[in-house]
Order: sequence, then C-alpha cells, then structure tokens
Amino acid sequence: MGKGFCALFKKDWRMLVSGKFFLMAIGFLVLYTAYVNLGYIRFMQMPPYNVYLYDPTGTQTEKSPLVQTVSSMEDMDAALLADANGVGLDASTGEVQVVLYKGAEHVDRHRADYALSLLRPSVSPAPEVLGANTPEQKARKEITCELLFFELTAVGFLGIAAVLFKEKGMGVIRVHAILPVRKDLFLLSKLAVFLLSDLAFAVLLTLLNVGFANGAAVLPAVLLQTAILSLMMALLGLLCALLLKDFRQFTLAYLVITIFAATPVFLSANTSIKFDWIGYHPFYHVYMGLKNAYFGTDISLAYYVGAVGIIVLLFLVVRLAFHREIGKEG
Amino acid sequence: MIEVKNLTFSYGKDKQALHGLDFTVEDGEIFGFLGPNGSGKSTTQKILTGILKGHGGEVSLFGQDISAAHGQEFFQKIGVLFEFPYLYANLSAVDNLNYFAAFYPREQRRDVGELLDALEFKRDFLKKPVSSYSKGMRQRVSMARALVSNPRLLFLDEPTSGLDPSGAVLFRKIIEQERKKGTTVFVTTHNMMDADLLCDRVAFISNGNLVALDTPKRLKEKNSNHRVVIDYLYQGQRETKTIEAPELEAGIPFAHDEIISIHSQEPTLEDMFIQYTGRGLS
Repeated sequence: MGKGFCALFKKDWRMLVSGKFFLMAIGFLVLYTAYVNLGYIRFMQMPPYNVYLYDPTGTQTEKSPLVQTVSSMEDMDAALLADANGVGLDASTGEVQVVLYKGAEHVDRHRADYALSLLRPSVSPAPEVLGANTPEQKARKEITCELLFFELTAVGFLGIAAVLFKEKGMGVIRVHAILPVRKDLFLLSKLAVFLLSDLAFAVLLTLLNVGFANGAAVLPAVLLQTAILSLMMALLGLLCALLLKDFRQFTLAYLVITIFAATPVFLSANTSIKFDWIGYHPFYHVYMGLKNAYFGTDISLAYYVGAVGIIVLLFLVVRLAFHREIGKEG
Repeated sequence: MIEVKNLTFSYGKDKQALHGLDFTVEDGEIFGFLGPNGSGKSTTQKILTGILKGHGGEVSLFGQDISAAHGQEFFQKIGVLFEFPYLYANLSAVDNLNYFAAFYPREQRRDVGELLDALEFKRDFLKKPVSSYSKGMRQRVSMARALVSNPRLLFLDEPTSGLDPSGAVLFRKIIEQERKKGTTVFVTTHNMMDADLLCDRVAFISNGNLVALDTPKRLKEKNSNHRVVIDYLYQGQRETKTIEAPELEAGIPFAHDEIISIHSQEPTLEDMFIQYTGRGLS
C-alpha cells in the first residue's frame, strides 16, 4: 500500500509540475506579497480625506500636520475641484465653516467630523483600544487572511479540477481500476499533494505578509484552518471534475462557487453588510475560522466537528463518483 | 482459468445487458470474444476484470469466485489492454511504464526497455512525451503496460487497432509468445483476421446471448457447403467449374490441360457471425 501511494503521489506531483501549477502558485505568492507590502498597507496608512484650511488670520494654532493650508478661497475651490473627496475648512470669519462637495449624508458627516478633529488633535477623545494588534498588524492579518481564502477557494480549487480533467481526458483514470492498488489511494494522493502545496503556500504567505514573529505565532492555528479549507476545496474540485462532462461546464460551476458563494462571505465578514442567512453559509464559518486563527480568537468544538463531518461526507460522495467514473464505457 | 455460468447483468430495471452466458476458458488458451457494438462484450470483460460488480450467475477466475477476488492479489495476476491507449500524455513511454509497473511486486515486473524493444518501439521516442507519439506507438506502449506485470491472464480489447499490417503481425506474434509461456488470453475484437489467426476458440455474442462457441475452423467447416471452385485451361480456353469436395478424392473429374487454381467455398468467420446473429460486426 505504501509503495502504491508513493507512486501515485510522485505521479500527481509530476502532473502539477508539468501543468505549471507550482509556477502559478509562486506567481500568485509574489503578486499577493507585492500587493500587500507595496500597495495595501501604504494605502491603509494614508489619511482617509485631504483637509484644506483657509485661515488668513492664523486662528488655528493646534492644527494637525495632516491639514494643508491654502492662501485664498480661490485656491481652496481649486483644491476641492481637483479632489472632490477632500474637505475644506474656512476659518476666515473667526468661526470654522466646513466646505465640501456633497455626497452621501452619513459619509459627509464623517468627513466633516474628521476634518474638524484635525484642528484640535489634542482634545479628540482617545477611544479604548481592544486587542493587542497595531493598526498595521491588523491590516496585514486581515488582508493575508482574505488572500489566503481566495487562493484556496478559487485558485487551488481550479488547480485540482484542471489536473483531474486532464487525467479524465486521457482516460488513465480507468486504468487504475485494474491496478493492484486500493482505489481510494488515487484520491488520497491527490488530496495529499494539494494539501501540502496549500500548507506551504499558507506558511510563505503568512510569514511574508504578517511578518516573521507575528506570523510564526499564529501559524499553527492558520495551518489547521488551511488544512480544513484545502481539503474541502480539493474534494469539491474532484467532485466537479468527476461529475461534469468537460472543462466548459466546470467554468460555470467555478463561477457559481467563486462569485456567488465567496462574495457574500467577504461582504459579511469584512463590511457592515449583514445577511440574515449568512449563518447557514458553510464558507462563512470556514472563513471566520481562518480569520479567528489569524487573530488568535478561540474556535468552538462544534465548528471542528462540523468541518470534519463535511470533509468525510464529501470524501464519500467523491469516492462514489470516482467508482462510477472508472466503470464507464471506453 | 475462467468459468462463467448463467452470467446475467442489468444496467437498471429495463436494461438487461447479459442474458445468462455460459463458457469456460482453459489455461493457456487464446479465447476470442466477438460481437457487434452494444452486444454485451465490454460488459462481460468488465465483469471478468473486476471493474463491474452486481452481476448474476457464477463467475470464477483462477478457481476463485470473482466477487471474492477483488483484492490486490487478483489484479496482480491480470493484465488489461483497453480499446483506447490510455496513457499519461505528458509523460514518456518509459515514465508511463515505470509508473504503472510500480504497483506490482518487483520480482513480477518485466524490464521496460526489453519489453519496448520486443514491441519494436522507436528508441528515439523513449524519453519523449506520449503526446508526440503516433497511434501505433501509443498502442505499443499500451501493450507494454498490459504485459509489464507478466500477467497470468491477459485481456486484450482490439489489440491490433491503430497498427499497420506489419505491426499487427508483430502483435499476433507477441500474443502467441505469451500463450507459449502459459498465459491465458481473452481477446475482444472486431477484427476477423485476428480472431481467425490467433484464437483457439471463439464465442459469438449478440444482444447479450452467446450464439456460438467453437474453434474458428470447426465453425467454418460446420457451415461449409463442401464445394470447390476450379479454374483451369482446356484446349486453350480458360474455364471455371464448381464441384463437391469429395469428388476430388479420385482426382480431377473432368478433362483439362492445366489447373490454374482450386478454391474451397468455405465461409469466412464474418459470414458465420452474420449467419448466427443476423448482424454484421460493425
């Protein structure tokens, strides 16, 4: 059994290498890392709105260095025309007037409050800060979690289905029906290859983007969640490849899973949008499991029991589909 | 080697594919299984190779019931050549064969290089991916895959498909060599020449029923009209006469100067198949 598994594992590894899967994974890793370190973190550190102050008599002495002073109202109008999200503060009459292009009411209030708070930074109330993460650490963990989830649900899922469609097209799956090896090993070796690849990806992505010290601290929990999601997606990919006729049909299923299944999860987990039904969405719980792992929050035992149950159920369904496939006509 | 008694199989309620087949295949025999598309021959082969389960009747291979013979030991003893050359297109012939051979005990495996040489595989292509091979080359690698484990029972589905005439002759020679080693061969084919030249016995299957089973020679003899057609020259004229074969026992029973040819009117195996089943083999 061990020798058979090794042969299958080696062959699956070669299939991934020849299919440029690892090259693609490395490409995504570089792309994500560049996006996080060169784009996302810098963007998150930028002030939300530019604030322009017209104060000819110099009444605002405590203002924050983030406030940009203009020399005339004409200059302020020109600045706001070029930067419609910016906020103007007119202190020429002694009382500060907020000047801005109108947007959504609640956003306008936020912009005005933010601009005024920059005039008195010392008196702004300091909120109680929850959690031990700095804003940058929090941003790094959040974006790394999102990118890892995307990689596992969209890219990894596509990878395993592509490999199996290739084998299905070559007809070699049927040859395994008459080989002296346990048929389940054919599936298990594929799961093992993708699991290892996903775990390695998760390690590199976390260390490169969360940082070595912070990343290493959360890595065991992240790897556990990665393993759960990786196995689920690999089994779903196998099932789609076994049940669907060709890659064209698969692309439709892929769109349904990545767009209609993953989008509400991202919206519910990362924005103020809440869907009543999101608690019934299995991906939501898996995503929250991954997020909780990055932020060191405890995860309930019921979640693990559910996850193991889903993996076992998916495996049994895939096994059934696999046995049906190997018995098909030539 | 193979014993089949009252074999039945259904794909669902109203789709009975096999209606009670009975046949045996002896050790070291080359047994031909002939039938048109949809006749049930693939279903039978799948049951015999342990791929399809849920049949009725009794099937035993190597003296053991097939239902109890799905373990690794069973698959170690059989080799299967599928109708299509199922190979990893991105791997070379050598890598494909090494991969498939890895599932068998080392002492059972044959040398991949020697096997490919015996199948006259072009050496230049040994390390090239299968995707660059012609159909005939793929068929050679597939045959090597079926033989690499030195099987005791060999199932061959259309073994000479995709081969040129010299390739077909080579394959028939290799199948004969396997038989001489003691391997039992179960051939499923549409190719009447293969069946006629290779098989010790052939079975005709039609609509899930076995309609005839005998040696190719006896099948043809049984249905022969025992006539011969003689072309000859007499007084400068070419003539043709058809006579009963026993009449030849006393010599040519008519005046002639020179015999050009004598042809027996024995039917072909395909004629026999059409006679038994009322259908062609296409």
